[in-house]
Amino acid sequence: MSARRLVMAWLGLMALGAAELAASFLPLPHAWRPLIIAPGVLMILIVAVTFMEVTEGPTIVRAFALAALFWLFILLALGAADPLTRTDYPTPQARVAPPAGA
Amino acid sequence: MSAVPATVPVKRGETEGSYLEDGHTLASWLLTTDHKRIALLYLGSITFFFFIGGIAAALVRLNLIVPQGLLGSAETYNRLFTMHGVVMVWFFLVPAVPVTLGNFVIPLMLGARDLAFPRLNLFSWYLFIAGGAVTLWALLVGGVDTGWTFYTPLSTGYSKSHVVLAAVGIFIAGFSSIATGLNFIVSIHRLRAPGLTWYRMPVFLWSMYSLSVLLVLATPVLAITLLLVTLERLFHIGVFDPAVGGDPLLFQHLFWFYSHPAVYIMILPGFGVVSEIIPTFARKPIFGYKFVVWASVSIAVISFFVWGHHMFVAGTSLYSAILFSILSYLVAVPSAIKVFNWIGTLHKGHIEFDAPMLYALGFVGLFTIGGVTGLWVAALAADVHLTQTYFVVAHFHYIMVGGMVSAFFGGLHYWWPKITGRLYPEMWARVAALIMFIGFNLTFFPQFVLGYLGMPRRYASYPPDFQVLNVLSSAGATILAVAYLLPLAYLTWSLIYGKRAAANPWRATGLEWRTPSPPPTVNFLETPVVTTGPYAFGAGDRMHHHA
Amino acid sequence: MPLARAIECTIMPSGAVRHDFQYATPAYQSQTAVAGMWLFLATEVLFFGGLILSWIYSRHWNPAGFDRGSQRASLAAGTVNTAILVTSSFAYALGLLRIREGDARGLVRCCAATLALGLAFLAVKFGIEWPDDFRRHLFPSDPDFGVQGPQQGGARLFYVFYFWGTGLHGLHMIIGVALLLWIMHRTRRGDFSKRYHTPVLVVGLYWSFVDIVWLTLYPLIYLIGRSA
Repeated sequence: MSARRLVMAWLGLMALGAAELAASFLPLPHAWRPLIIAPGVLMILIVAVTFMEVTEGPTIVRAFALAALFWLFILLALGAADPLTRTDYPTPQARVAPPAGA
Repeated sequence: MSAVPATVPVKRGETEGSYLEDGHTLASWLLTTDHKRIALLYLGSITFFFFIGGIAAALVRLNLIVPQGLLGSAETYNRLFTMHGVVMVWFFLVPAVPVTLGNFVIPLMLGARDLAFPRLNLFSWYLFIAGGAVTLWALLVGGVDTGWTFYTPLSTGYSKSHVVLAAVGIFIAGFSSIATGLNFIVSIHRLRAPGLTWYRMPVFLWSMYSLSVLLVLATPVLAITLLLVTLERLFHIGVFDPAVGGDPLLFQHLFWFYSHPAVYIMILPGFGVVSEIIPTFARKPIFGYKFVVWASVSIAVISFFVWGHHMFVAGTSLYSAILFSILSYLVAVPSAIKVFNWIGTLHKGHIEFDAPMLYALGFVGLFTIGGVTGLWVAALAADVHLTQTYFVVAHFHYIMVGGMVSAFFGGLHYWWPKITGRLYPEMWARVAALIMFIGFNLTFFPQFVLGYLGMPRRYASYPPDFQVLNVLSSAGATILAVAYLLPLAYLTWSLIYGKRAAANPWRATGLEWRTPSPPPTVNFLETPVVTTGPYAFGAGDRMHHHA
Repeated sequence: MPLARAIECTIMPSGAVRHDFQYATPAYQSQTAVAGMWLFLATEVLFFGGLILSWIYSRHWNPAGFDRGSQRASLAAGTVNTAILVTSSFAYALGLLRIREGDARGLVRCCAATLALGLAFLAVKFGIEWPDDFRRHLFPSDPDFGVQGPQQGGARLFYVFYFWGTGLHGLHMIIGVALLLWIMHRTRRGDFSKRYHTPVLVVGLYWSFVDIVWLTLYPLIYLIGRSA
């Protein structure tokens, strides 16, 4: 790790932050908007590699980091599977007719 | 690898005595960083909580001897079974084997001087005590009536009981768990003695490693969930509140994401203990070592994928329910592999029926029954009928009490000579093990029948037709209580009057038996070097020990 | 061994490097401490992960209201804070480079910069942004909530996520500030050198991780729901 690499990382982070901010002004449909987080994911990667030096050090450091990401993925994916596939029966207050055949 | 020192400088004048003699003041115990002393601090603590939870259970069973409920109040009954669940789950079952036997034995089995982070270990005990104190306070000022599962919106809004206090207590205790798991994982990675490769480690270490993964990754989700419940209760608004568009099922997802792995946190140590006891008392290496250790790891991983099976009738999507049902069947496979391998170990072994072995054999049988009945409730259609009945109650008690508590007692007896330097009275121990087996089955087998016949759980009263089975169950509970009090009596007796134990009274393998009983503070004066695999019994081995 | 003796083993008298008795070398213990911190950070990922799942649920069940709430959040404050925090991680990393050259004074200067930026973050967040949010009646249980009509429920849920999320993050920042002060104190005392500076490493990991949590919260709060 050198000061030069750190400065490059900082510049990269600023640029990606600006890109993420710009992306948020794009007129994306509601369901696609979470993709705006993509530059943010790259920013996280840069912080982990350059500032936290995840690629240096003992191997278990990388194992722990990957395990964290994997289990976060499981929590979010299996957890979101229910609301994303649930059949919603709106209450009368919502003033929407229930789906046919419900 | 030169990871661990070959020798340790022992100060001139320091006695060759054991860790028990290394300081007699209160401070030398309360400020210790010796994993062995911390294990004993924990042992006292969890024993205390076991009795609190046990008293709650006794009152529950007392209430159920008459159909209208002997205690007369459903509200009181709700608080009792909640107290029983909260205390038993978080202050006995989750910690029990890891913090007592794990803390004591792991560094010894690794050939290490201590765990990776001894001060963190001490801190974890203080966190446990703090969490326990807050939870006890919640119980003393009236308790909680939501069940140990804290479902919303009862817990976040409608309950008038001390939810926040209990949640805070459990939250604090959760960090104790995380600290312990972290310590174990790092220790097993970094502190193995020279020659102790992964495949030479006893199964107990693999089990403790697997359970530690669950401790560190699942418990944080419980922490955030309890925090969200607390904030919602305090501010009267939150993500679980349907009145603002929140989802009460989100609570259940978050809660069970932790609590399903939690049940494996509770049982994996039992697997580990039994995997040490059976080879020793059958004088044979464990059958299919690699299958057994990878089964532990698989259980740890797959256990995170099955939580939805607690929510089949809660209103989740059918597709997610189907997915979780399939995954739940998958997680049963490694457990079954272990059971077959234990039986394979017994086959053509030279079996000695000492107390640890009796407990271990009881574990295998009772865990199998509990596990198989789990498969029934994992089937969607069957679960519609069986869920929230006594069938489920019996299922998990077969695993937790028939399985885990048996394993805990088995392990306690097995390592008792190492920990205390004394032998317990064998005849009394065998008697207690048999009484436990009988009392346990009498308590919980009728509950399978009650559940199948439709008696709901968590009800203070029931239709008169169910009375006979309930009385049988309560009678069994009384016998079970005797079986738990006996070891308390004779183990305490053995501390003063028990015969002194040799380094290896069971003629077992494993590094912990190569050091005196009880061990010196530094565990090993010279770091052992490992040259063979685990369970390397000699041919024609016989055990000769005490009366 | 008693706590006092154990602490003695690791606290540094200036010059010599000691290590706990279960490790063979200081380097091995240092690497082990780093591994332990990474494992702790893994637990923090799951901790915040539960909160993220609640974001997914709340937004899924209340699409219009949730984004409406997001549009009321102060984009300027959030963006400025992101820049501040990223720079603070950069400053600390420079400090780590300095102590690897044996330059303890350089480390102190970099820590001071990190501290200043961290305090600036807290000042913007809790000194400007939150008070402004309260003034606009955006606290979720406010009876006179700043968003009315059918989108109110979703907006309230957004602000539950916002306040709990930034509140927890802020708590972690405050702990980070305390850790920074501890590092600066120990550095000035002469505890760290080219050969031994494990606490500097470990605190740096924590600080950068808190930065990562913010980098996750920032788009979830300020960016995704922004466009009408």
